Order: sequence, then structure tokens, then C-alpha cells
Amino acid sequence: MSSLSNMSAEEISELLDEYGIKHGPVVDSTRNLYEKKLKEAMAKGKKAKPSPDKTFYREEEEEVTYVYRTPAKSEDVRDSRTYMRSRPEWTERELEHRSHESPKYTKEDFPTYGQDAPKAPKSSRLIPLWVQFLCFLAVAVFLYLVFSSMESNEPLKVIE
Amino acid sequence: MSTTSQKHRDFVGEPMGDKPVMALSGIGDTLGKKLEEQGFDKASVVLGQFLLLKKDTEMFTDWLKDATGANSRQAGSCAQCLKEWCDAFL
Repeated sequence: MSSLSNMSAEEISELLDEYGIKHGPVVDSTRNLYEKKLKEAMAKGKKAKPSPDKTFYREEEEEVTYVYRTPAKSEDVRDSRTYMRSRPEWTERELEHRSHESPKYTKEDFPTYGQDAPKAPKSSRLIPLWVQFLCFLAVAVFLYLVFSSMESNEPLKVIE
Repeated sequence: MSTTSQKHRDFVGEPMGDKPVMALSGIGDTLGKKLEEQGFDKASVVLGQFLLLKKDTEMFTDWLKDATGANSRQAGSCAQCLKEWCDAFL
């Protein structure tokens, strides 16, 4: 590892970003401090430098999604779906699939996809969607009952 | 407000203008001299450093402790003082 003091300001800045350290410009008065911070971060063995070839993603609770910038294997086809939900970047590989998919960020199924992923297209929620709807309906019904049982003349009239 | 000193309130209450570095909360004679030796001869120069560190009080505290040997209380006090000054006037 080259000595920190020999690095250019830009390199220091990049290193700081890699370690996730929020920082300002690397100038004379701040350089010393940032070098120290980097040494501490390296000693603690914080988040390692990300490999230049892939981006780590933790979009959903159960899966870690990798996006490969190099030509992909078939399993990455599935990954690109999850990836697409949140990142506006397009990799070379995804350009192929662009005709099939639209760049939306909602969690949609992709019916034109040749291979349906082994994983269910359902997104992973703690509480299944239908339960959520049920709860919402229950609350709505409850509120309606409360309103209808009110003695006031026009319980449903709102601000005009 | 109960935890701020008079010095803090004096500093934060008006534009710092040409105030010396000793006017900063937490900076007394010893620390003030050390800062002046390093070229930080006015409060505004220290403000400059604070701004370079993107107004991050933690970073600034670390820097100050490092540069002058200030303890946590002094450095924290100075950082807080500058932060509030910035909130009011910057």
C-alpha cells in the first residue's frame, strides 16, 4: 500500500469515498486530518474497497443483488430485474433487455421475460399484500361505522 | 440555553467580524496561541477551516484536538459555537 502522504489530493478524496467517510476538499489544512482518518479506517478494517467489477446491493431484506458490468451469465438476468427497480444506471447487458422492459421503478412483473426467475416475482414483504389490504378495509369499515353512528346532523359533510 | 456559556452567547449573537481566535467558545489563551502559531489568527480563519470540513462538527472536533491538543469538551464547545454562528449568519 503506497504511503498516504505520497498520494495526490484526488486519490485521498477517492479513498475517503471508498471508506464512506464524508469529507470536504483535500487541501493543506485538511489533508493531515483526512490521512489520519484513513489510517484509522484501514486499521479498523472497515468496509473494504469495492471491487471495480461489481456493485453490491442490499435492496431487499433477503437477497443481496449483484450487478455485473461484464457480460452476464443467465442467472444475472434475474438480478437485473431487482437491480432495475432502484438504480437508474443501465449496464451493457440490460440494453439487450430494454425492449422487453420499461425503466420503471415500481415492482412489476415482467411478462415478456423468457425466463421467469426461479424466485417468485412477489417482492419480499414482511406482511403479505392481501393482509395489508384487509387491514385497510377493516379500518375503513370501522371508521364508516363510527361516522354513521354519530348523532350529529351531517356526519359526512366535510369542509365546503 | 442553560448549557451555553456567556462566551458562547456573545460569539453567536453577532457577526464575528475581526474577533480574535480567543473569542471562540472553548478557546482560551493556550489553545488560542497554538492556533495563532498555525496561522489561524482570527476567528474567521477558524471558521474557514470549519467550512472546509463541510460544517461537520465531529470532523472539526477531531481536527481541533489534533491541531491544538484541545480536549473533547473544548473542541466540542468550539465546534458547537461555530455551528450555531453559521446557522444564524451564514
